[in-house]
Amino acid sequence: MSSGHKCKSCGCTEIEVDSARGDAVCTNCGAVLEDNIIVAEVQFEEGNHGTSSAIGQFVSADSKGGATKFGASFHVGLGVESREITLKKARRGIQHLCNQLMLNQHSVDTACSFFKMALSRNLTKGRKNTHVHAACVYLVCRTEGTAHLLIDISDILQICCYELGRTYLKLSQALCINIPAMDPCLYILRFAAKLEFGAKTQQVANTALRLVQRMKRDSMHSGRRPSGLCGAALLMAARLHEFGRSANDIVKIVKVHESTLRKRLIEFGDTPSSALTLEEFMTVDLEEDQDPPSFKAARKKDKERLQRLMEEEAENLTDLQKQIELQLKKDRSKRPKRPSKGKVSEAQETELFIQESTLGTIQEIISQSSSDVEKSSPQILELGPNIESMGLANSLQDTSNSPASVEPLNVDMNFDDIDDAEIDMYIMTENEYQHKNGLWHKRNAAYLEEQKIREERLRKEKEEGKPEKKKRKATRRKNIPAANSAGEAIEKIIQEKKISAKINYDVLKCLNAKPKTEPKTKVEIPEASTSQSIPKRRRLSSVSSNCSEKSTASQKWKPSVAQAVNKRNKDRGLGLPVVTSEIKEKEESNITSEEELDDDYYENPPTEQNEMGVLQMLRQHRDDNDESEYAYFDFEEYD
Amino acid sequence: MEMKTDLQQDVHLKAILNSPAKFTPAVPTPDWTVSKPSTSFAQKSNSLMIVTTPGSVAGEPHTNVIIQNCVATVSLSTELNLAVINARTRNSEYNPSRFHGLVMRIREPRTTALIFKSGKIVCTGGRNEQDTLLATKKFARIIQKLGFNIKFQNFMIQNLVATCDLRFPIKLENLNQMHNQFSSYEPELFPGLIYRMIKPRIVMLIFVNGKIVFTGGKTRNDIKEALENIYPILRSFRKS
Repeated sequence: MSSGHKCKSCGCTEIEVDSARGDAVCTNCGAVLEDNIIVAEVQFEEGNHGTSSAIGQFVSADSKGGATKFGASFHVGLGVESREITLKKARRGIQHLCNQLMLNQHSVDTACSFFKMALSRNLTKGRKNTHVHAACVYLVCRTEGTAHLLIDISDILQICCYELGRTYLKLSQALCINIPAMDPCLYILRFAAKLEFGAKTQQVANTALRLVQRMKRDSMHSGRRPSGLCGAALLMAARLHEFGRSANDIVKIVKVHESTLRKRLIEFGDTPSSALTLEEFMTVDLEEDQDPPSFKAARKKDKERLQRLMEEEAENLTDLQKQIELQLKKDRSKRPKRPSKGKVSEAQETELFIQESTLGTIQEIISQSSSDVEKSSPQILELGPNIESMGLANSLQDTSNSPASVEPLNVDMNFDDIDDAEIDMYIMTENEYQHKNGLWHKRNAAYLEEQKIREERLRKEKEEGKPEKKKRKATRRKNIPAANSAGEAIEKIIQEKKISAKINYDVLKCLNAKPKTEPKTKVEIPEASTSQSIPKRRRLSSVSSNCSEKSTASQKWKPSVAQAVNKRNKDRGLGLPVVTSEIKEKEESNITSEEELDDDYYENPPTEQNEMGVLQMLRQHRDDNDESEYAYFDFEEYD
Repeated sequence: MEMKTDLQQDVHLKAILNSPAKFTPAVPTPDWTVSKPSTSFAQKSNSLMIVTTPGSVAGEPHTNVIIQNCVATVSLSTELNLAVINARTRNSEYNPSRFHGLVMRIREPRTTALIFKSGKIVCTGGRNEQDTLLATKKFARIIQKLGFNIKFQNFMIQNLVATCDLRFPIKLENLNQMHNQFSSYEPELFPGLIYRMIKPRIVMLIFVNGKIVFTGGKTRNDIKEALENIYPILRSFRKS
């Protein structure tokens, strides 16, 4: 087998093939040339009557080959085979739907791969098969830009359009499929074909297409179903080409209500393009884009409200005017008396004239202001009380007009602020109570009876000692907090999901998760360093620099050792080391180091245990896989 | 220009129009004139605002955020006999074969409560937190008056629904394309764009005419933050 091959990296022909491991390795450079080799030989076996047959069984291209016989499936695990069945079923469902929608084989394949993706992400769980199949097909429709609407699919499968929409949205979001925005132009040709325009179909469709494009420019399409827009455009186009199509004909095809269609027509009528003739429309492109109709409507509403407010304001003004006039009349009625009483002197006359003229001007001003009240009233409002001065809340944070959010912590039952008379209003008298009670019991007799029977049964079951129905464990997935760094994220992934069996996770752990493992190794370092430092000290026979380190480690030692160390420390504490003390120390340290060595011998097993502990922890992480894998998926879903 | 001044006044008019109880005025939206000096419109309108509203702080555009609904829960921590409560009160309905809770309504503030056997109450329909608290207390008081030994524990606002109008049209398609991991926009299903903000965790329904519905917030601050976050985004997707 291997003799024919040549190593790609060094050209060596000596290649070792290990059929047990299933790989081919170059003996010269060590490059792995092939991985997961499948035995490509055909073997035959001889039957009872001398018949020979090939060993093995047929495995189709899309099969995983996990389990093909009943016995085999029993051993190998049902999961693989069941997945295959699911996929096959899905393909059948998708194929069926695509046939009805006149979609080609390529779309079927794409939809199936979408389904596979959804299946691997567990998005099919808890959803009806038909919904998931339909959502996959619709995903294809949208990505390929075919002229299919959600409602067509729900029509064929007889399922709820919104439920389907929800499934589709979830799938597209979870699978990160970027779906282009819906274009109403796509559906024109399809609807036009159904309207029996004969040879002129293309012309009508072109006109309708232009209409829809114009509508899009005037932003009539946003927030609206494409079918309504297409319907309106087709109706107009049909009329323009002298086809007598009624709104009803259109409604039947595009499946929107007549009022919707009419609304779209009116909205189009409000745009300046509607004023053009057919020729003009087909040739001229108006530069100006219009605001969306709903926006215009909102502003119109605002304006109307403003108008109403101004009118109210005007009424207020006229009220004021009336009062002033009344007052003036009174004044006037008083005034003429005065001159009549006494003689009319010149001074009085001039005064009267001045008074009258001023009154005249005042009246003039009043009438003027009431006539152009529309202009003046906003100014009045500007000058009037503003939000701050009215003592209203200035922002959402300012809860001066609704301090409830501060209050709710009063746990004590303080019902002082509640009017009991009002509460009593809701509570019925004894007579009424009897009446309502009787009525209720009569109405709910059947339910109460049912409830009684159920309770009886439950009690009996308990007496008989029947085990309570097992409640399905809610597999609440742990929510993993987001990783702070890339390293941490990798670590988490490794923890949660074993990527391959060929990776030494312990090593990987050390590579990536240094900051995390450091505290663990730190514990080991001093103990290791003691054993290292002892020969060093012996050789140097002086106070080594790692004394401080030792002192931390020494806390674990036996009292005798600790004493010795203390002594040494004391010696050092006296000042510069003198030669004599050094010699002493040498002796001492010799003794202590021997002791230390002994100690280390005893100490070592625990440290090993410690290391084991780390290993165990790592293994635990592996064991935890099945549990944390869910969490991993969850994590992905929210991505 | 004139149209703009109109709008400006309109904001104030609306502010005065609304009754103070319902009205929660004026979220100062983020200062987008600093972050986006390139748009000529922003500068224009800003200068205009300074001229027309001398009283306001730094001429910030004000948006009326109105709380529309407030849902709260409270626990009375006692077992309730719903059949008795139903029979004793005239403002309740209890149909256990259809729904296990008892539905009780009061007129002032106009709210509805779902009362459960465990003593938990869910109160909806309040116009603000204060209203809801008052209403919840009233429901508790009614039950207390019927002779149940209740406590008033764990009062919590669960959801706030608020609306606001930004007064400029928004390009929903483009917004959906750019923010597709947060948003979904399917005109076949719903006319608005559904924007699920992660922080604060709030869902917004954004409509083409610039109106927004916030839901899922537990505090006013959530809504305020959400608006502050989304405003510059929507501003950039403004339909010219």
